[in-house]
Amino acid sequence: MTVSAGIGYALIALGPALSLFVSVIASKPFLVLTVLSSALLWLVSLIILSAAWRAFLPLKSSIWLHAILLITSVSLQEGFRIFFWKMYKRLEDILDAFADRVSKPRLFLTDKMQIALAGGLGHGVAHAVFFCLSLLTPAFGPATFYVDSCPHMPFFLVSSTLTLGFVTIHTFSMVIAFNGYAEQKRVDQLFVPIVHLAASLLTLVNLIPGGCLVGIPLVYFVAFLTLLHCGKMVWRRLHENYSRIEVAE
Amino acid sequence: MAFKLHYHRLLSLVLLILLLFSVHRSSAGVEESFIESVPDLQNKMYMVVDGYPCVRLLNISGEIGCANPGRVKVVAPIVRFKNDMFKLVSPSAILVPPDKMEDFFNKLHSDKELAQKIAGVLIKTNIGYSNEIFGFSPVGKFPQAEFAPYRNTTYNWNPAGSGVMWNRYDFPVFLLSQNSTLKLEEIVESADIHNDKFHVDVAEFDVVMQTTKVGNHNSETCLKDQSCLPLGGYSVWSSLPPINVSSQMEKPIILAMASQDSASFFRDRTFGADSHLSGMIALLAAIDALSHVDNVNEFGKQVLDVGSVGKGFSEGKATFFSHVEEESSGSKEILSALEKAAASLKPDEIVIQNASSSNPGIPPSSLMPFFRKNPSTAGVVLEEFDTNINTTSIVSAAAVVARALYILASSGSGFSSSILSSININASLVEELVACLLTCEPGFSCKLARNFIISNEACPNHYVGVMLGSPVAVPSLENVGDTSRFIWNFLAERNSIRKASSNSSCSQGCTSPSEVCVGAETGKGVCVTSTTRYVPAYSTRLKFENGWRLVATNAEDPLGEVDPVWTESFWNSIGLRSYKVQSQTYDQLILWVGIALTISSYVAILAAKAALRKSLKRD
Repeated sequence: MTVSAGIGYALIALGPALSLFVSVIASKPFLVLTVLSSALLWLVSLIILSAAWRAFLPLKSSIWLHAILLITSVSLQEGFRIFFWKMYKRLEDILDAFADRVSKPRLFLTDKMQIALAGGLGHGVAHAVFFCLSLLTPAFGPATFYVDSCPHMPFFLVSSTLTLGFVTIHTFSMVIAFNGYAEQKRVDQLFVPIVHLAASLLTLVNLIPGGCLVGIPLVYFVAFLTLLHCGKMVWRRLHENYSRIEVAE
Repeated sequence: MAFKLHYHRLLSLVLLILLLFSVHRSSAGVEESFIESVPDLQNKMYMVVDGYPCVRLLNISGEIGCANPGRVKVVAPIVRFKNDMFKLVSPSAILVPPDKMEDFFNKLHSDKELAQKIAGVLIKTNIGYSNEIFGFSPVGKFPQAEFAPYRNTTYNWNPAGSGVMWNRYDFPVFLLSQNSTLKLEEIVESADIHNDKFHVDVAEFDVVMQTTKVGNHNSETCLKDQSCLPLGGYSVWSSLPPINVSSQMEKPIILAMASQDSASFFRDRTFGADSHLSGMIALLAAIDALSHVDNVNEFGKQVLDVGSVGKGFSEGKATFFSHVEEESSGSKEILSALEKAAASLKPDEIVIQNASSSNPGIPPSSLMPFFRKNPSTAGVVLEEFDTNINTTSIVSAAAVVARALYILASSGSGFSSSILSSININASLVEELVACLLTCEPGFSCKLARNFIISNEACPNHYVGVMLGSPVAVPSLENVGDTSRFIWNFLAERNSIRKASSNSSCSQGCTSPSEVCVGAETGKGVCVTSTTRYVPAYSTRLKFENGWRLVATNAEDPLGEVDPVWTESFWNSIGLRSYKVQSQTYDQLILWVGIALTISSYVAILAAKAALRKSLKRD
């Protein structure tokens, strides 16, 4: 599909992530580190998953088997998210204690949210690199490819658009999740795994002939829901926090 | 509270979709081959098309054959052949049925404007007919006319000859295999149905010839620039019985010849020209029959040439035509031997007829250069007209030749009719030879061939090939073609003196100079006493001195003056692929969508940051 199409697909999948990185993350080294360690953690979860599933290879082509694979994968990743949160909590306590010692301010709420955002972005970028960029090399050549079950769009376009949806979901889910664990809000804590599972299972719709025309919009719907929920939650939290400060003053 | 509603809705949506799966699972019929890695994906994207290319050949005065016009691969959309090809808008790769090929190429050769719209040609193979097409002949109406020992070079020996293979084409041409024909037919059909403006199926031709890159247009320059090699190979001669070097008496020689290669439009594939090999098979079978006769003494100086043998079984009679150049006594003797041989076989079943007097002389054959050199050579061409191979007619021809050779060889002491009638052709050997030499299954993986040679290609290739290495009397076997090696081993084995004791293995070569190693390549070679040799066959105008060189003509070599000196260009790789390509508009669109998404998300993030900051300050 030539170099221009290859670059186009890469930008569709990772352009917004790049913008987020440049505008929010890049100026703060700690956030950059968070992105990297989160990406690494996500990859480790995949390695463990693939080691566990190795025993069952080769898999038969069955939607139910794919569904079970997705459910185990999402469960493991959600488990890792909790682990990530616990590590972050410990780090937060250490950082706050250090700040107290050197008489510097503690972590603000916005800082905490940015750390969560960076964590989510790390997950998203790792997903994008693993599931999209690694397959994109042939897209830089002259040929294109159409899958039998989706003759309407080239395979690379399907891959990139789905990846963009998932990057969005991963990035903002982390903010919601961290907030849910911090505030002990059950709704937020359950929202993230359900949304993650729903989006993953919705990709199975693409296996049905012509399904990609339905599957991709559905994933974007889920991504939009995540964005909306996150936006509402951040707005509420920040306003609550600052009005509390004013009241305190 | 609002979220709990969302949560319920989401859950029910997920459950509904899961339910849909259970309904659709059976109907989806998910039975696709999986792509397990990026190289797998790459292989699925680019379909390699099997085919036989037409390559660039050069001669003293110019070029023939086909090649990419420049140094790069040719990529063009695949289009079905229609009668209104001149309506093509852009250069395309045309998928042509085999029966339309000759007319199409003749048109392309004469109409330069149409030729410019042709980026490449793909010839389909008729399913079920394999390589046989009635009346297809890419050679001219008088093949090898320049070597004819008579003046009338316009005589129409080959009425079906279109001469398309002697033209020069500046686009690549491939003959598709049966498998590839089916695949490309599918592609063209689905393109016709869907008529998608956004993607198109293209063929990518890689037939870049070295002579094109260097800019050579004839044999002399390409040999000098080492961008080509001369056409040639190794003929085989074998003596029955083996020549006794210690014996003082020199016996006269009867030469029985047959051609073992064929010219073709496509380098490694011949259409219906298998009849060329039928003469060779008849000769091999005749030698096999003669080798079982005790005490074969040969003398007489005559030449018998077995040309192509084909059908001709009209009313149960096989008719062979004998052609002579001059009515010399030698030729008469051969003719009489042929008639006696025919008569000794089942009477009224084989007829030897003199050729029509309207023929200007002997037909195109290996005998022509002999007569050109020495007009008083005694020789006869035995031939029967064209088309398909028939094992029975080959057996008949072999029987006539075998018995005629025996008669000629014993013409001094007279022949014994009991021995004559004991000379019979092994019909199952003929069938085996046809299977080994003229089919792809088993081809050279047949039992007979496996005892003699190891071949990489089961499909026997009778293209003459190029002279590899320097032309020597004892060539290294990797420079000798499969067909030549097979014939050498067959003749060496059949024309050997059978020893009572078990034959010794020749892993270290054979001890006696009169011995040769049969089946050396298989590792189970055996030393036999036989006089069988390779003879390098190449143009008399060439000399090998650290590379090939064209030598000047001289009066002693009149045939050298008319020799075209064929050479074949080198190439890096030859291949044909097919894949789908998006339109350029689409590619640009994708790039701009990606850039737009990146920029708009950057702007949105900045706006969100500003809005948050503003609202918090306000509070």
